[in-house]
Amino acid sequence: MKKSLGRQSGVQTVEVSLIDGKVDVTPKEDGQIDPAQLLKATYDSGVSVAELDMIARGKVVKDSSENLVLQVQPNRSFVLASNELSKGLEALAGSSTLVTVRGQLYKKPAGKKKVDASAPLKLLILEVQKKE
Amino acid sequence: MSRKRVALLVLLGSIVVVPIAQAQIKHIEMRVEGMT
Repeated sequence: MKKSLGRQSGVQTVEVSLIDGKVDVTPKEDGQIDPAQLLKATYDSGVSVAELDMIARGKVVKDSSENLVLQVQPNRSFVLASNELSKGLEALAGSSTLVTVRGQLYKKPAGKKKVDASAPLKLLILEVQKKE
Repeated sequence: MSRKRVALLVLLGSIVVVPIAQAQIKHIEMRVEGMT
């Protein structure tokens, strides 16, 4: 799995901890990393992902459907799941403020065995670390 | 186009482009099951 993840575009390093089942991925600064692709690569290597968290910096904007999204690259953005923290960022939508957030992009649904890998990932903000 | 105008366009362009360039995914952490 480590080799498989390391081959994904935008991945700089992969650290695997067998003891606690943790995989740390450090992205390159080229912005090419795709969390959905990492999820797929992990599943393809025969390992089940329970949770995927990330720290990202980006701009808060609204998409064409008026959803609040975090834009981390001109061509990559994540729809924000609605919670108190995302509501707190609503006022920044469309501004030039960069926010750094820690959020959960994926959590394995309880009780379900088959996971729909094609479902769009929503970012549930767990912590707003910085606004600049 | 005058040099002043070109310089102004470059300056405005950099103001718009830099924040997006700084935006990025900084770290990803996965918790996995079934790893041996």
